[in-house]
Amino acid sequence: MNAYIRIALASLIIGMLGGCGFKDIDKRFFVVAIGIDASENEKKPYRITLQLAIPSPSIEPGASKTQIETIDAPSIAEGVRMLKAYVDKELDFGHCKIYIVGEKVVKTNYQDTLQWMMRRRDIQNIANIAIGRPDAASILKVIPISERYPGNTLFLSFGADGTESSYTYVETLSDLSRRATEQGLDPLMPIIMKNKESSFIINQTALLDKKRIKLVLSPTEAQIYNQLANDFTKSSMHGMFEGSDLVVAITNIRSKFRIGKQNGKDTITMDVKMKVVFEEAPRGIFTDQWTSVQQNLNQEYAKSCVALLRKIQKAGVDPIGFGLRYRATHPKPDSWKEWESIYPEIEFVVRPNIIIEGTGLIK
Amino acid sequence: MNRYVFYPFIMVSFINLLLFVPYILIQARFSGAVTSMIVGSVIGTIFVYMYTGALARFPGKGLPEILKLHCPQWLVSITMICSAIMWWFGTTIIVVTYALLINRFFNPDANPTLILIMLILACGYAATRSTLSVMYVIEIGIIVNAPIIIFILFKAVRSTQLNWDSIHVVANYVTEMPTLTAVAAASYIFTGYINLSLFNRLLPPNFRFKFRWVYPLFGILILLVSFFVPIGFHGTVAVNEYIYIWSITADSLIMQYGFIERVLFLFLIVFLNLTLIYTMSGWHQAMESIKSSFRNYKPEIDSPRTPISNYVIVGIFIVLTFLYLQFANEKNGIIITTYWLVVRMFVEGIIVVAVFILSRWRSKST
Repeated sequence: MNAYIRIALASLIIGMLGGCGFKDIDKRFFVVAIGIDASENEKKPYRITLQLAIPSPSIEPGASKTQIETIDAPSIAEGVRMLKAYVDKELDFGHCKIYIVGEKVVKTNYQDTLQWMMRRRDIQNIANIAIGRPDAASILKVIPISERYPGNTLFLSFGADGTESSYTYVETLSDLSRRATEQGLDPLMPIIMKNKESSFIINQTALLDKKRIKLVLSPTEAQIYNQLANDFTKSSMHGMFEGSDLVVAITNIRSKFRIGKQNGKDTITMDVKMKVVFEEAPRGIFTDQWTSVQQNLNQEYAKSCVALLRKIQKAGVDPIGFGLRYRATHPKPDSWKEWESIYPEIEFVVRPNIIIEGTGLIK
Repeated sequence: MNRYVFYPFIMVSFINLLLFVPYILIQARFSGAVTSMIVGSVIGTIFVYMYTGALARFPGKGLPEILKLHCPQWLVSITMICSAIMWWFGTTIIVVTYALLINRFFNPDANPTLILIMLILACGYAATRSTLSVMYVIEIGIIVNAPIIIFILFKAVRSTQLNWDSIHVVANYVTEMPTLTAVAAASYIFTGYINLSLFNRLLPPNFRFKFRWVYPLFGILILLVSFFVPIGFHGTVAVNEYIYIWSITADSLIMQYGFIERVLFLFLIVFLNLTLIYTMSGWHQAMESIKSSFRNYKPEIDSPRTPISNYVIVGIFIVLTFLYLQFANEKNGIIITTYWLVVRMFVEGIIVVAVFILSRWRSKST
């Protein structure tokens, strides 16, 4: 090719580079969390709260600075657009990993909110979503004293980098949108509460149907749910043996279930296999017969599991996906209708198989 | 040398993720997609065996040379121009889709026209090179990108988010009748063998096709992953809501300690490379087809000088692609792709059967 053509091509390509809508990093506001609440105003039913990161040169606990912007708007998309007029830099959602939905929204209908999130291209599907109690705005206004980067506390609470609490159910946007539409698999979301002014408590889980909250699990129930549904290992279990308290840490857990008939009744049988180590036990348990301790633990665990499953069943939701399993194993055109009539009366049998691995460092 | 047969096959089976193949199959998930996948795999496998078996008897000859041996010139010209249009169009759909995809995911402010011009200038220049260079570029592209794609696919399959019950529910619809569009979409994954129409010229005289069983195996694996993994991730209902289903699936994955946390960007960059390579190879083949439709054209696999005709033909391609973008959006893009996939299946079927018959006929007469 002759030199002129080459130069022309090169300059053409270089000329196009300016064509992208590029904005410098210091001309951007990074949104780290979004809160969506219901406002009192009927014409503007959504209250949108953005937590904007303020870049800071010092990285030390408490150095994180954020700016909170709130607006009431007729729709979420308009609200976010309108907020652009409140700030001087371009809003960037690329780092937004936490979405908090106010409890009031989830109590009425969350589908519109979810749809907006799924439609936006710059909202990550791997972002975490949670319910804010009493509302999202007050959660975002909390200033954690140990925070190093803006928004980091909530990122760490949900990710696997920081704390891994057995009471916290971690929900991602893609999982929630699957559960919000799937027949036989219902959504659930963790609830974030404020602890004084500087930290959060995330130990309750809300179970929802396709529209709103149906049931809120207490911390203990939330932990059992995480063990049953997610095989969450870094958790503990409480039991009694001959009148004294036992606490065991679970080192390995596997649970599976199947749906079948037992004594002519539809039954869901859950097998939970786990290996445990004692954390709190009466002295001298090392020399006792472990089989009877195991049996005791099994019975107690089965009791609390069945109680939880019954409670979930009574609320009319199915977060573990029993219905989906039924649809998968009973391929009939009307299997979903069948399941809807079976589920309210179905029996639960939980068969834990707890294996004690050791008593810790002391006998 | 068998790897030169395998690279185009891998390239085509990976690019299906962008060509709305999963989209078309997922739309039909309750109405015959699973059966269509079985039928498509059978058709694809038969075609692979027939075509490679036939071409083994014409060492070093491309499709135009084979046809010229037996058919009148006018028939050869028509066939070649038809296949050129098919190749040009099939790759143009992808590069235009990708330009729109960049606009959707990377930067909504960017102008898709400008992006497309940059993409097609690069592809166009690469397509004017000699057949051998094009093959080398495909080789490099596949070696660099295939491991990353396989990594992403593997990560998706191994993910705890994958719900096997949803997959099971959809797999139960195996008794439904197959549909034409779904069969066409499924058989597309196996269509890499048709690249041999041109690349057979590169193969040496004593060449033998080896490991032919790998093609169906690989194709079926990719087909299963590209159809079932999005269902496992998004459930049986929500999966139908997305346009760019695999981009969304990649976005649902997380690389905790990766260079970037969102797998989406890795996915998009890898598929940018693949799109460029695919477009280059498609245009090159279309260009060679058009050139072969002339009577006194002598194919050269590695000419030292690039003929002017290359630039002219690719220039026309570039202009046509540019015009196509003005008319394309996501909605009609999917419809056009669906039609193209069906037409492609039939045209390919005719070419494969014709070449197969020619090869048998020749061995009888000699």
